[in-house]
Formats: sequence, structure tokens, C-alpha cells
Amino acid sequence: MLSLGDCRYAFIVVGLIGVLVFNVPSLMLFVHLPGGERFSELYILGPGHMAEGYPFNVSAGVDYSVFLGVGNHLGGSASYQVVVKMRNATEPLPNATNGVPSPLPMLYAYEVFLAEGQTWEEALVFRFDDVAFGANVSSVGRIRVNDAWMNVNETAVWDNVNNGYYYQVFVELRLYNATGSSFGFHNRFVGLWLNMTSSM
Amino acid sequence: MRWWVNVFAVLAVVCLMFSVPLGLAVGAEEASAAVENADTALRGAFAAALNAESAGTNVSGLIGRLNEAGVALTGARVALAAGNYNDAVSRAGECRGLADGVVLDAGVLKNDAAAQASLWWVTVLLDVTGSVVFVVILFLVWRRFKRYYSDRLLGCRPEVAA
Repeated sequence: MLSLGDCRYAFIVVGLIGVLVFNVPSLMLFVHLPGGERFSELYILGPGHMAEGYPFNVSAGVDYSVFLGVGNHLGGSASYQVVVKMRNATEPLPNATNGVPSPLPMLYAYEVFLAEGQTWEEALVFRFDDVAFGANVSSVGRIRVNDAWMNVNETAVWDNVNNGYYYQVFVELRLYNATGSSFGFHNRFVGLWLNMTSSM
Repeated sequence: MRWWVNVFAVLAVVCLMFSVPLGLAVGAEEASAAVENADTALRGAFAAALNAESAGTNVSGLIGRLNEAGVALTGARVALAAGNYNDAVSRAGECRGLADGVVLDAGVLKNDAAAQASLWWVTVLLDVTGSVVFVVILFLVWRRFKRYYSDRLLGCRPEVAA
């Protein structure tokens, strides 16, 4: 059998726990727990919404489809621009270390708004046109991204190591800074290497 | 007399057919300005949604409508680049309409959230009252328990073990 002193301590402990539980709603008004790591996701999935089946050997006049995805874990709502660009193997990629986007022209931009924890996925359908092949060189005159045709006039020389004419369609993520009222490169990009062929 | 009326009617219809497209035709500058305005309106709507969110509102609904406006703006840009100026102006107008609606609703939600937040003292009062009542009840239970414990202790008969 517990002594009266032990019972007194038990009552005091129960009392303190009860007071704490009763005051949780008030504490939540004033105490804000720190959130986890803040970041954004950017990814490309294949035509089946899986990380497989990406287009690689491509040719003119054929539609190729992938899915772009963005996830917001920044602790609040965010406004993104998902910018599609195209390059050959020698043209500059974005520099994520220095936070500098690629200077290449934008082909298409998705406007994406996400609340905290939300993700966005949308199809990216592209098609090449005016593709020509010469002596160890290929050129692409136009690309259609979704419903927008753009003149690109890209050329790629034959890659002896990887045996192909390589181009890259890549995607940069921009984040809107409401304080500065402008978009800035969000240090994230993903791309697809594509080997241009004369026919499939 | 009657054939004059018919000729006049036909001429009027022909004039109307040619004048309507000319009257509605939109130039590149006008379309570009419309897209620019839609872009500005969309950024303003997002800022309004952020304000509402910082006031403690759930802005998921507003975010969904901002995405619709974003799709319209992308369509307007594509149409502008392709030289479809009428389409660009139309889509920019759609974007602007959606953005304006978001600004209005964000304002209402922000005011509601501010009114709700101003009632924080009700929460504190309820919590403090609950705590006091709980402690008083616990104290009464303790006194009763102490009496019961003492009575039980006094009622015990000492036994001497052989």
C-alpha cells in the first residue's frame, strides 16, 4: 500500500499534467514549432507517370510526351515558373552552384501555384520539325512545345563517343519573390538527352 | 420600289460582314499590353493570397483558381507569340478576370481570419477556466481521498505475529 506522501505526489503530477493538457490550445496560439527542411522538388517522369520510358532516339514529325512535376515544401504557398529550354551539348546549362540560369531562350513557361505540401504534374509534349543532316552535323529548325511552335535553329555535331547527334530539352525552375516582385532561378533543373535520328 | 429595298438590305449586310472583323481586329501592341496587364494582375492576386495566408487562412481554393489563371496566361503568351492577337487578348482577359476574383476573395478571407484571430482571448479564458475547475475538483478529490485513507488506517487492528 502506497503511503499518504506518495499519493500526494501522484495527485500533484496528475494535476500538473491536467493543467498542461487544458492549456494546449492557448499554447498553440503563442508557441510555433520549427518546421522541417524547406525545399522544392522538380522532376520529369516518363509517359506512364513512372521514372522509365523516357524518349531518347527522336526524329522529326513525332510527338514525344513526358510529365513534369513540382513539389512545394517551402513552408507556405509559392508561385513557380517551369521554363522549358533546348540546347546542344556545347551550350551552357544552368549553374546551380552560383544560382545562374541558362542564358538560352525560353521556349515555353508553365505558371504553377502551389500551397505548402502540394505537388503539380503536367504533360510536356514536344515535336521537332525542319530537321536536317549533313556531314557530321545535324540541325533542328523548329520545336513545338505543347501547342507553341518556336524557331530554335540548333545544330549538333556527331558525338564519336556516344554515337549520336545529341540535344537536350531541359527545364528550369523559377520561384517568385513576392517582396522583390520578380522571378529568380530556384537552383533546380532537369533535362532529357535526345539523340536525333533521321527516322524511327 | 421593292427591289431598291432588297438591294439596300443586301448592301447593309455586306457592309456589316466586312466592318465587324475590322472593328474587332487587335494589333500586336494592344495584345502585348493586355498580356502584360494580365501578368501583373496575376502577380498581384498571388500577393493577395499570400497576405490572406499570413493572416492564418487556408488558401487552397485560391491557389486552385490562380492555377486556372496561370493556364490562361500561358495560353495568352502562346497566342501572342503565334500572332493570334484576338486570342491573346481574350485569354489575357480571362486571366485578369480570374486574378481579380482571387484578389476580392483573398480580402474577404483575410478579414475573416483577422476577426477570428482577435478572439484569441476567448481561447485563453476557456483554457484558464478549465484548468482552475480541474485543479479545484482534484483538490476536493484529494481531501476526500485523504480522509478515506486516514479512516482506513485508523480502522486497522495491529496484529502481533507469533
